[in-house]
Amino acid sequence: MASASSPLDTVVLTIAQSLSAVERTFYKLPGSAIIERYVRSSHQNDPGRTFLELIIFFLVVRTLLQSRTRADSNNAKNFIEFTEKEIDELVEDWVPEPLSRPLDDVEAAELAAVPVVAGPNGPHPTLVNTGKPAINLASLNFTGLANNEHIKQRALEAMRKYGVGSCGPTGFYGNFDVHIQCEKDIAEFLDTESAILYWQGFSTISSVIPAFCKRGDIIVVDRAVTLSIQKGMEISRSTIRWYDHNDLHSLEEVLQSVEKERRKRKGPLTRRFIITEGIFERDGTMTDLPKLIELKQKYKYRLILDESFSFGSVGRTGRGLTELYNVKASKVDMLVGSCAIGLCATGGFCAGSKNVVEHQRINAPAYVFSASMPPLLAVSASEGINVLRDTPSLLTRLQDNIRAARALLDQVECISIPSHRASPIIHIYLRNTTYTDNLLHPSSAASMPSSKPSNPTSPIPRDAPVFDIEREERLLQEVVEEAMAQGVMITKAKRVRGLEISEARPSIRLAMSSALSKSDTEKAVHVLVKILKRKFR
Amino acid sequence: MSTPALSLSSSFTNSTADTLLTQADAENSHGLAFPVEPPTSEQVHTTVHTEFGHCSNEAHRRFSSHIPNTPVLHPEDRDPPYYVLLSTYVSYLILIVLGHMRDLLGKRFRAKSYKHLMPSNGYAPLNSDFDSFYTRRLKKRMEECFSQPVTGVAGRTIQILDRYSKDFNHTQTSLNTVTRALNISSYNYLGFAQARGGCADAVEEGMKIYGVSTCGSRLEGGSSDLHTTTESLVAKFVGTEDALVSSMGFATNSTYIPALVSKGCLVISDEFNHASIRFGVRSSGAQVRMFKHNDTNALEALLREAISQGQPKTHRPWKKILVIVEGIFSMEGTMIDLPTILALKDKYKFYLFVDEAHSIGGIGLHGRGIADYYAVDPRKIDVLMGTFTKSFGAAGGYIAGSKVLIDRLRIRSYTGPYAEAMAPPVLTQIVASMASIMGVDNPAGTSMESLAPSSSSSTLQLISSSTSPEAQYHHPGPVPQGFLPAWITLPYALSSGFEGRERLRRLSFNSYYLHRGLDKLGFITYGHPCSPIVPLLIFNPGKMMMFHRMMKDRQTPIITVVVAYPATPLITSRVRFCVSASHTKDDIDCILRACDEIGDVLDLKHGISRKDRWSLDEICRRAVELVNLPDHEN
Repeated sequence: MASASSPLDTVVLTIAQSLSAVERTFYKLPGSAIIERYVRSSHQNDPGRTFLELIIFFLVVRTLLQSRTRADSNNAKNFIEFTEKEIDELVEDWVPEPLSRPLDDVEAAELAAVPVVAGPNGPHPTLVNTGKPAINLASLNFTGLANNEHIKQRALEAMRKYGVGSCGPTGFYGNFDVHIQCEKDIAEFLDTESAILYWQGFSTISSVIPAFCKRGDIIVVDRAVTLSIQKGMEISRSTIRWYDHNDLHSLEEVLQSVEKERRKRKGPLTRRFIITEGIFERDGTMTDLPKLIELKQKYKYRLILDESFSFGSVGRTGRGLTELYNVKASKVDMLVGSCAIGLCATGGFCAGSKNVVEHQRINAPAYVFSASMPPLLAVSASEGINVLRDTPSLLTRLQDNIRAARALLDQVECISIPSHRASPIIHIYLRNTTYTDNLLHPSSAASMPSSKPSNPTSPIPRDAPVFDIEREERLLQEVVEEAMAQGVMITKAKRVRGLEISEARPSIRLAMSSALSKSDTEKAVHVLVKILKRKFR
Repeated sequence: MSTPALSLSSSFTNSTADTLLTQADAENSHGLAFPVEPPTSEQVHTTVHTEFGHCSNEAHRRFSSHIPNTPVLHPEDRDPPYYVLLSTYVSYLILIVLGHMRDLLGKRFRAKSYKHLMPSNGYAPLNSDFDSFYTRRLKKRMEECFSQPVTGVAGRTIQILDRYSKDFNHTQTSLNTVTRALNISSYNYLGFAQARGGCADAVEEGMKIYGVSTCGSRLEGGSSDLHTTTESLVAKFVGTEDALVSSMGFATNSTYIPALVSKGCLVISDEFNHASIRFGVRSSGAQVRMFKHNDTNALEALLREAISQGQPKTHRPWKKILVIVEGIFSMEGTMIDLPTILALKDKYKFYLFVDEAHSIGGIGLHGRGIADYYAVDPRKIDVLMGTFTKSFGAAGGYIAGSKVLIDRLRIRSYTGPYAEAMAPPVLTQIVASMASIMGVDNPAGTSMESLAPSSSSSTLQLISSSTSPEAQYHHPGPVPQGFLPAWITLPYALSSGFEGRERLRRLSFNSYYLHRGLDKLGFITYGHPCSPIVPLLIFNPGKMMMFHRMMKDRQTPIITVVVAYPATPLITSRVRFCVSASHTKDDIDCILRACDEIGDVLDLKHGISRKDRWSLDEICRRAVELVNLPDHEN
């Protein structure tokens, strides 16, 4: 008997011992007395509560354990269990779409017709397409800096000092003295506190925007902004409100509606931005900067202004819109420009206050994660600024050429030109009188604009202009190719149809240059005018 | 046009003003300006030693290639001892607590200096104090490690503009002095960052003809015949039907990926893929799933799940699945297991996008990147992307693939109509450096030497002991003269492809040597020994800055890149060495010696056990033996 009970006794004894050990340890823990007192008193008062608290405790533990795999458990609702064999069959059955569609005939023809310059580009390049020299109204060489011998010489010297590549991002030994100098030059030229260089014009603003605008911030933006701005906003995930293209009245209405919305929700103060372009890439219209600044200050917004096409082309020395309207550049919070377009180098910049610039050095993806600009191109940009500053005659010649071209184009009936009279890029639309009858709904919408404002949450305006993209693209392409055959290099404004937030109207985009003489400009535009008149009589 | 050969004897007299070494250089107190051992009379070096180190020792070469029919090397990550992990976490904890206390008190008592973080005048702060906490309170403390201003060529050595901070790193003050330092940080794998030599001469010639800009985007009047030439050369180099170039490496990913996938497509991306890939995927509208870094099993599991489940909620089949990986990962130095991924591709029918930013030019018998390394036909990979920054001393990026794909991308990506075309000097640099890696086929009949030299180099055993990789993979061979612009004349050393091969083999030797040397010293490193990126693990945030400073303040200054969170996981802060073909064995010795000494002071040696370690002298002496150990025996 004693021998039979002894193993049982040992077990009981062990359990009792370990229990008391647990108890001792529990009392040794700091604060255990408090817990004990709490449990005891609450249990005495209401045993049901103890039970409830236990349930809550387990729920908390469960949630904590789950949170790590929350994504999966959300999916679990939709998750279908398959056996390995079924998965194999599904894999077997799955037929993906091809990675890319081959070009159709129209696309292939258009790609083949893209002008390719043999040798250096400039006012009179030789084309690979025709094998003949042409007058250049397509390339962006507003002030003729691409052919400046002085800049070339300085760039050569820089190459012999720095090599070509910079071999690293700015953070890690890609921060050359010439980059710092170029940033300084830009800031001084525009008279802002500071400036930051990016390495590609297109990537500049699409990286500046997400550096500042985050989820929950508000962006009020023009409906016809260029693709790089659209992409930047998409990455930023901010709340976007649209106003009618280049219509500051519409802007004010949107600003008011945003303010109303905020008051209603009583939300916290968020960052608010107005984003627009100086000269619009899409159609060459120009923003009324003084009015815009007045609005931005009144409603306390920050302004991100894309001057890609206005920097280096308007104003007495090419400082852009701020010089043209005599507005202090420091009033624009983030002034974005392009060294590739305005200075015929490469890259872009954002000028602003020290805070604004330093913030981007850590937060702008295209700046942080990319190797810096080849030093020799930073030198070309710096020299470009010097040339602009010292020779205002370049800008007057450019304006003369623009005026000459506009005078000729204005005589043509079958086209309309949305671009501003000072804009160095001139967009040419076909007038749509010729085919309005063919439209399914020749409704009143097009002819009688309603007085109601557009919906600010949609990028499409209320009275969207109606045009037949395919037809206009085709007709314009015919004009372009005919002009090229006659020794005038022009181009359609190229788009990535279907990938932009709204479709831009097809247009021919002329780019004026002070490197061309006035007579050459007139000669070239005259050829174009003749073709247009003959084709669309 | 030709630059005088700069051997030691001539470099005193022949250097022109801008390569002329500074006073300190002439004294060579740092040992960087001239080789330790002067060259013999037969050795003529055509490079400037500070840009591209002189090395004539044939033993200091290695071939970079995967040996067929052997398993792919998966170096395992070693874990540090627990006390290192614990102290790292505690360090961050202290930093975070201190930072928040400073913020809390600072806002009360020094409101002025916090103004930009608080709402003022009806404007919300540009930068919330929470978002910028890491930058202000952690990065600021080690500001001296970042954005160091430099000048001159980012070659074997680089000149840093000395600076210091008077106000706790808020601003940096320049000292107006320049220090030459050994550069183990720039992306200069093949050493083409040079201001002298055949490539630089070609660039000068090109700039005289083409200027610096082609004025505009590719589709709108900014295309030049030089672009066309470069693109066909790149296609030839990579081994695909067609290729296109883009003026910025980051933008190559961020603007072309959206042209490949859209809504209804799935992108499966490695968790350590570069920010540009994430940027591109995010703006494409496609769904994205990530898999564990370099884990093909995880990839397969994810593929099985994705294909069987289809799109979320609707369960419709995916339109297409694009798997995006990097050839060599920029922070890890790891290499993908291409054969396994290609086998998966056959089974699961996804499209494969390989970002070769760090592998093109850097690895493979012929320098053609990851496909060359594994001796696989590059056309099996749907999209090959790479950059010219790292191996070619240029800038920008390319995408290579089938003609159908590339033509579509030309008109369908944002770059074609909107972004500026690549600048002529950059294009010429690419053409010249690529041609000198490939070698130019001379119709006159001077036959190319066969790739494996017939000398009794010890590295040869690697090749001969296995079946020839050429059996499976026929590499494109030298480039016909017709692919190059007529005005480019490369010196014989370049056009024969001799120097290109030397560079490839020197890079491979240096990568293996630094990698294995550090391992043998007892450090924890990551990645494949073949990769020119060699990360050395430091862990503690405080040691990171000390390491950087101690390396820089040595008798022979060495500049290093230290990277921490958010570029790496919080715990695994590291220093990242980027080896170059321009380094000599002496340079690597110098780096190993520095690491050895600093590693002892900072307690960084947590790798292999003490008994397996080698002493520094032993490593330097047995370097060739160490480098030539087969991958799997080390």
